[in-house]
Parts: sequence; C-alpha cells; structure tokens
Amino acid sequence: MLDPMRHHALHSDAMAGAAARQFVQIGLSEIALAAADMPLCLVKDAQTGRFTLIALLGLIEPRNLFWHDGEMRATYLPRAASLTGFRLDAAGAGGLAVDEADPAMGARGEALFAADRSPAPILADIRAGLERIVADIAAAQALIDDYARLRVIRPLSITLQLSDGREHVVAGLYGLDEEALAALDDATVVALHRADQLAPAAVMAASLAQVERLRQLHNATHARQIAAYQIAFTD
Amino acid sequence: METQQGEARTGAIRTIVVVGGGSAGWIAAARLAARHARGTDDIVVKLVESSTVPTIGVGEGTWPTMRNTLAKIGIGETDFLRSCDAAFKQGAQFVGWKDGSPGDAYYHPLNPPAGATEVNLSPHWQHLAGAAPDRAFADWADFQAALCDAGLAPKTITAPEYGGVANYAYHLDAGKFATLLRDHAVGRLGVEHIVADVTGVTMADNGDIARLELADGGSVAGDLFVDCTGFAALLIGKVYDVPFRSCRDVLFADRAIAMQVPYAEEDAPITSHTVSTAQDAGWIWDIGLWARRGTGYVYSSAHIDDDAAEAALRAYVGPAAEQLSARRITIEAGHRERFWQNNCVAVGLSAGFLEPLEASALMLIEASMDAIADRLPRTRAAMDTAARQFNESFTHHWARIIEFLKLHYAITKRVDTAFWRDNAAARSIPDSLKERLALWREHPPAPQDFAHAREVFSWPSYQYVLHGMGFETHYPAIAATTPDAAIARRWTGRIERMRADAVAQMPRNRDLLRAIREHGLQAV
Repeated sequence: MLDPMRHHALHSDAMAGAAARQFVQIGLSEIALAAADMPLCLVKDAQTGRFTLIALLGLIEPRNLFWHDGEMRATYLPRAASLTGFRLDAAGAGGLAVDEADPAMGARGEALFAADRSPAPILADIRAGLERIVADIAAAQALIDDYARLRVIRPLSITLQLSDGREHVVAGLYGLDEEALAALDDATVVALHRADQLAPAAVMAASLAQVERLRQLHNATHARQIAAYQIAFTD
Repeated sequence: METQQGEARTGAIRTIVVVGGGSAGWIAAARLAARHARGTDDIVVKLVESSTVPTIGVGEGTWPTMRNTLAKIGIGETDFLRSCDAAFKQGAQFVGWKDGSPGDAYYHPLNPPAGATEVNLSPHWQHLAGAAPDRAFADWADFQAALCDAGLAPKTITAPEYGGVANYAYHLDAGKFATLLRDHAVGRLGVEHIVADVTGVTMADNGDIARLELADGGSVAGDLFVDCTGFAALLIGKVYDVPFRSCRDVLFADRAIAMQVPYAEEDAPITSHTVSTAQDAGWIWDIGLWARRGTGYVYSSAHIDDDAAEAALRAYVGPAAEQLSARRITIEAGHRERFWQNNCVAVGLSAGFLEPLEASALMLIEASMDAIADRLPRTRAAMDTAARQFNESFTHHWARIIEFLKLHYAITKRVDTAFWRDNAAARSIPDSLKERLALWREHPPAPQDFAHAREVFSWPSYQYVLHGMGFETHYPAIAATTPDAAIARRWTGRIERMRADAVAQMPRNRDLLRAIREHGLQAV
C-alpha cells in the first residue's frame, strides 16, 4: 500500500524497472504493436496455472535486451514495462501500492509525493495507466483462455547453442502451434475470425521470428555469443 | 491388406456387448468405444446394466496407469479430479509389517529407484545400510518418500494434465468414477446404454453366446461379450462354468469391513499415499480423498471374527467412528482358470479378486482392456487366438500379483499372532516365491529375474518391499572405484538435489487439489 508517511521520499524511475525484465505481460491491444519487436509467448501463472500472454525481452539473463545505454531501443515499449513497481490498491495513496524491491523504486526519477506529502500528479497518471493495462490484460486473458480450450497452445522450447559449446534452453514457454491452428475445422476458424481472434493468433505465431532479433541484440553486447538456436513445439 | 469400409467379412466383429455397469463395465465400454467406435470397422458398443444389482464399488486406489487410461478415453484430468472426489496418490506406506515394533514403517513409492535403467542400487544401498542402518532404501534411492512424509503433492498447478514431477496415481470415489465414465461413454463416445436385468442367454451352435435375453422381453445380440458382472460372474461363471482357482491357501483374507470417515475439519491435510497398517489378522487401508477418507480392515475370518475385526477398525479410526456405519464384504481370493471363453471375456471381479494391498483391481481392468481394445479380433476366426494369448498372459499376471502380495507377508518377522505366523509358514508360500527369495538373498532383484518384458510388478517394486521389510541380503561389495559405483553416486547425488527441490516447490496435496478445483489444469 502506498503510504505518504513511509514513502514520502520515494521516486520512480519507470525505465529502470523495464531494464531488469526478461519478459513483460501485455494486453490484447498491444499484440500487433509488440510483435513488431518481440516474440510473443505464453507462460503459466504460478498461482493458477493459467496461461498469460507475454512479450519476451531477454533470452539467457533476466534482463531486457532492448535496453541499451539508458534507453529502450525498440519501436514499442509494452505499457506494463514502465509500471513494474506499482499495483492497484484502493487503500493506498492515489489508489496504489508499490513494490519497494522493484528496481524502478528508489531515490531517482519522479517524486511520488510533494514536499507537503500530498500525492504528486503523476500518481493519477500511473493509476489510470494501470487500470487501462489491467482491463487490456483481462481481454488478452479471455483470448488466451479460448486458445487453450481449442488446444492450439503447445509447450515451446527455445534451444540456444552458445559460442563456448554449451547449450541453453529457455524453458517454461508456450506458444500457438500453427499446425494445430491449421487443423481446426472450418466452423471454428470462421467463429475465431468473427470474434477477432484469428488475426492475433497469426500475429503471435509469426512473432516467434523475433527470436532472431533477440539473438542479434544479445550478440551485440555479450562475449558469449548465441551461435544458433532452434524453436520447437514439444508435447 | 486393409479391408475397405462396408466390405463384408465373414464373422466380422461388429457389436460388442459389455454386461455390468460398475467401474469395470464402464472402463471397458469407454475404452472400446474410444478406440473403435469411429473406426473403419464401424463397431458398436453396448452396455447392459441391471437397475437392481448394486455395484461393489471396489478399488478406490489406482495405479499411475489410470492417467493413460483416462487420456485414451478422452477424459481430462481436471474433470476427473473434480467429478470423482479424487486425490493424488504417490505410493503406499506399510506400517507395522516388518516386526510390529514402534516406528516400523516403510514406503513403496510409485517412482522407481533412481537411475533404474542404468544402475541397480540394491547392493550399493546394502553396504551403505551397514554404516547408516536408519536410512531406508526408499528414502535413499528416490525422493518421493520425502513428499509423502511432508503431505506434499506430486506436481504443481503449472504442470499439464496427467504430467507431474513425481510419478503418481489416484485415490477416487468408485461410485462417482463409474458415473463419470458412464456420462462420458454415453454422451461423448456413443455407447448404447441399456438398463435391464439379464435373465438368460441364447447360445449359438458353436457354443458362443448369440444374445442376452432381458427381463423386459427384449434381447441384445452381440459378437463379443465382456462380462463385467462382478462376483455374480453371470457369463464366465454361470453360462460357461469356467472354474474358479482359489488362492486362499496363499492369501488368507476373506473378509473386509469398510468405513468412510469424514475429515475432522475442512482444511485437514490429505495424505498423498495409501497407509496400510498391519493388524492382528490382516491390515487396515486408509486412503485420502478430497472430501473424506476411505478406511477398511481386510482380514482372515479363520484368525478373527467379524465383530472383533469391526472393533479393531473402529479403534483405528478413533472417536469419529462412533457416528459411522461399517459395511461388511465377503471376498474370495482367486481368479478364473480362463478369462476368455468362446466369445466372452471376463474383466473385473468376474475374472477374480485379490485383497487391495497393492491396488491391483482397477489396474487389472485397465490392463485387460488394453489387451482387448488394442488387439481386438476383427473376425470370429481370429478370436480363439486372441483368447489363447489373453488367457496365457493374464494367468501369468495373476500368478505374479499373488506372489508379490504374498511377499509382503512371507518375509515378516512378526510372530505375535497366528495370522502372521501362518503367513510366514513355508507351506503357504508358493515355490516360485521361495526360489526367488533364495536367489535374492545373494543377488539383488534385477530385470533378468522376470519372464515378461512388461511385468505388472517388476524388480523395482520387489526392491522396495524386500528392503523395506528388512529382508536379510548378502550382496557382494562393489569397490568405490568401479564405474558402477560412480554411476550410483551420481544418481544418489542427483536424488539429493531433486529431493530438496521437490520438497521446496511442491504444494500441499490439499492446496493443489483446491487450486485445480478452482482454476483447472491446462492440457499442456
């Protein structure tokens, strides 16, 4: 819970939160935008086991490969990436809670409270942004739940061959299997199309090609290069 | 060459009639329909069920095989767990079987010993046991006993349906299970459900069953009949009079008293293994379901009377038993001399019954239906060969199960009651088991000791029971410098890490079941 007494000196450096993320949750309206830069995959929520839509930002280390020299070098910044330190909490100041351990929170960035400990105007913007993201993520969740019901989601393994001869497997990812999509009956395909659920599936499936972008970004900044990789659906 | 659809084949098997609507009947019908009903042979599956004969509801514990069976039938794990009051089972704990002293307990987990395809850990453990006599084999050779001790689940909510970190099976409500299977088989798989009493059969000239005559005046013709009529054995016993081969001389139990015990509180832990506690004249099972426990005393009426047995069960359950009723069941240990006769095959209790010490009842139904459904004779001419293969195979399986169950009793050091003394007497131990026991004093159980590639109980199970029971062995020492010792060290080191990870990551058994009831498991 955001508390003026406890957090009056706290600042938020939104981009510092984005820098440390290997992936970030995205909403329905972000699918086409994020796919311009990032592979879109699914991970399972640890509490519910439900699939969650994410944009992959890193491959090996838990960091954002698009973040370089203090800026995000991508055409699109997923909205949740700049709000990593905040949650909605009706009981908190500005209707917010903060995660004090998040890298965005500290002594740098924008102040959350004025000198008299009243909420800074930025809190209202953050809250509005969070409310929009929560609704957008819920819409994505409904879409993904439908894909799960149609059984077009498969475990996805990205195997990286490194220049030192080792292998690294990016585990715990799931994706939309184009073969499973192609095997759907005509009525289901039409129903998906009418519900605006077919195009997102195609975009998500195609976005896996952006693993190559992540490889290039990794190799530009790491001595241990990713020599090759394989993307495979497993069962 | 593949026969084209619609082409007439002499004596083609088109209609399969399952008789009986308990777990066996509905597993049989569902497996057959899922495998064949939409195939090119256009097979029709019918199930005839009496409205007046109650089902026994035997078998509330399964093997891990049930996961495959359900997947083949097309039932999702989430639906199964929610519908059948089911919970995860990771093996069995045998309490008081070794010598009855305080703390006497060992596990037979469902995970095989570590590295079972690479190394036989028995001799390595024997020498370790000399230095660390309190280190149980099951706990040393695998991590699952630690999960059982801690009441933890074999998987997390992020695991897919039917997949897990540890091998697992289920405890289930047999009545609810039959209902789920019925609804699925009739609603999804196209099984024709006929509710009527069978009053007789009309035989064909070749001795086959041509059709069943029903109390409502109707009849049901078929090409193959699956007898799932329970102890009544309506077809294999009453029609074909195939003799019953008793094994009471080996396994003495002929009675059971069952009691369903509610949990004391809503959030009570659900034990993730079967607890089998030795008694004066048998043993008590205790299995955890979602909403209740199932308990029961399996005993020998030659060693204790019914009232004393019920008193023992009530004493085990404790004060909660005062409000609960007990159900008495007479059992006859043994099996038919043949299971498949002419065009009739017996599956479930009509084929035989053994005490549920290793939960073999449902497993035998599944194994029977694997054999029948996956190798269904396409013509009557092929059926005699299929029957001969089936009879040979399942005569072997029953003998092997009887022998494995007897192992639990035969090597006990208990001498406190006549039941245990009689069980360890040489006259009650099959010669084949005596021979193996003599071998296993000097040689660890190994794959070579078993005739079939797919034994129902193979060498890992024997290792767990032999070492758990404290069976005295004299295996040669293996030098620490040998490759075999290095492999054993690598695996036991890996097990240590897996144990620590699993205990840290697995949720409480009840917590996972609650999460699955709320959120469901994903298919992948």
